[in-house]
Amino acid sequence: MTKLLESRWVRLGALAAVVVVLVVFPLVSTPYSNYQLSLIAVFAVALLGLNVVMGYTGQVSLGQSAFLGLGAYIAAYGVLHGWPLLLSLVLCALIPAVVGMLVALAAARLRGLALAMITIALPIVGVPLARRFDGFTGGSQGQVVTFLEAPGWSGLADDQWRAYVVLVIAGIAFALVRNLVRGRIGRAFGIVKENEAVALSMGVSPYRTKVLAFTIASLLGGVSGFMYLAVVQYTSPETLTFATSINLVAAMVIGGSASIVGTALGALYYVLVPVLAGQVNSSRTALISGVILLAVLFVLPAGLASLPRRLARLTTSGRRRSGTTAGSQAPDDAASRAAAPSGAPTE
Amino acid sequence: MSHFIQVLVDGLSNGAIYAALALAIVLVYRSTGLINFAQGGMAVLATFAAYALVRAGTPVVLALLVAIACGFVLGGLLERGVMRRFEGGDPDTAVVATIALLVLLTGISALFFGYEPHPFPSLFPNRTLQLGGVFISLRSIGTIAVLLVVMVALQVLFRATKLGLALRAVADNPNSSALSGLPVSRLLMIGWGLAAALGAIAGVLVAPQLFISPGMLDFILVYALAAAILGGLDSPVGAVVAALFIGVIENLAGAYVDFIGDDLKIAVPFIAVVVILVVRPQGLFGRKVTVRV
Repeated sequence: MTKLLESRWVRLGALAAVVVVLVVFPLVSTPYSNYQLSLIAVFAVALLGLNVVMGYTGQVSLGQSAFLGLGAYIAAYGVLHGWPLLLSLVLCALIPAVVGMLVALAAARLRGLALAMITIALPIVGVPLARRFDGFTGGSQGQVVTFLEAPGWSGLADDQWRAYVVLVIAGIAFALVRNLVRGRIGRAFGIVKENEAVALSMGVSPYRTKVLAFTIASLLGGVSGFMYLAVVQYTSPETLTFATSINLVAAMVIGGSASIVGTALGALYYVLVPVLAGQVNSSRTALISGVILLAVLFVLPAGLASLPRRLARLTTSGRRRSGTTAGSQAPDDAASRAAAPSGAPTE
Repeated sequence: MSHFIQVLVDGLSNGAIYAALALAIVLVYRSTGLINFAQGGMAVLATFAAYALVRAGTPVVLALLVAIACGFVLGGLLERGVMRRFEGGDPDTAVVATIALLVLLTGISALFFGYEPHPFPSLFPNRTLQLGGVFISLRSIGTIAVLLVVMVALQVLFRATKLGLALRAVADNPNSSALSGLPVSRLLMIGWGLAAALGAIAGVLVAPQLFISPGMLDFILVYALAAAILGGLDSPVGAVVAALFIGVIENLAGAYVDFIGDDLKIAVPFIAVVVILVVRPQGLFGRKVTVRV
């Protein structure tokens, strides 16, 4: 079972299946389902950024929502002033990245909670600023913008077209980040998370690595802001509140930190659990969400991404207890157990 | 000048509320090394216990005492029943567990009392004192006085009692404490219980002003976090000084700088905190930690 999961072909097959589902789904489902699917893609990208800085590099960030909001406002400004869409997207990535880098240049000298405090300040200060500068942001009422209508040749409805656009952006972001964290920079992230002194002695500057991780996180946050506006067509100071940041952190840990698959699962959780809880009983959403969150943490402290591994281990140990294939299973199990605790990014 | 003193006292009284929650955060951090986001949720639930009693006709002072007791029990139970499983594990997971608790407790409060805010009677008479041309509300003075009493009581507990010594020992090194025969798990429960009791005091003090609702303390928790981190997380005195500083600077900036006004005043203490932390990463009163390789 463990072997099966690690096989390359199984992984490729699973990826292909997911892609096929994502291509077909918008064609056959209701506008509401497409909206939810698009939202999952939006928050998957925001979570991806958070995972780069927090999951892979081990730096607490409670300010991701600020970059999401900034991206959404830039996109709204661009649409209202008739900028080309591609230019808006590029600026939505670049401006938050620059802001994130400037903050990180000061903040990356700190560690732990001091760093958490500086990132908390971003949404806390951002919300009243967004209310105040209503010429740019539309103030407390927010802004409704309509863009990204389906072009006539495609024959798609607006919601389908938007779903495809955000899914493509999310797919590109996931592919890029996957390659990033598997390469040299990903290893630098991992060693900075593990031990900064060791990183230094290996010629990796913890300071520069952290600034880079923050910059990438804010860039992805900004891109997800663009996607958010494309899907929701509305933004207000509520978009960047501190509560969003906190929920994003919770979703990241629930999905599985330092895991690409976990990021996607975290986004599923972030969007769908409140919807499901609301359908069960709309006035008990918080209660049900809290129970689900705690239950997942109790059963799977390493997040949803660890579920297959966990199941695999349960079945192997179950078989061993029955005493049938003890000899052949033992080395396999020991190897997977040795691989699991090392902090290196595995997925 | 009289206006200035009024603004100052109001700031101090806001700061006193932040300080009570900040003290609770420091207490939990010192015993378990965790930032407890559920602090506000626990406090609100305890305050709702007081609210139920007040509505049934109990005097506010008695309701406050019951809320403190409820908070203590609630904190101890949550530590034992929920947080125990996450202690010693991945700290990120433990912090998210406290976020889960916050969501859950908010849901429980709403289950019984709904989301709409309810009025809550004040512990102090709704009058103002006139001292040499300055009008100061009794509520402000009362809040500050309660905080001072709590601070002294905590200091006495930690410095002059055997229980306090044991709590400090567990915070410092749980393994050695266990080897010296201290009941570590019970002491951790007491630590969480004390923190939740402190939160209950903050909740009852602030409820008349904000009206009681499940999300009442969400915003104050952010101020308290800022104060706890600014003060240096291991220092109770630091947390109180930082909380008062935040309360005062916010009110002064809101009152005297026209551009800032009432809407932007929240930004001022947070920007100040960021600047201070960049200069002094360990906080105002924190000890500098040297990392040994």
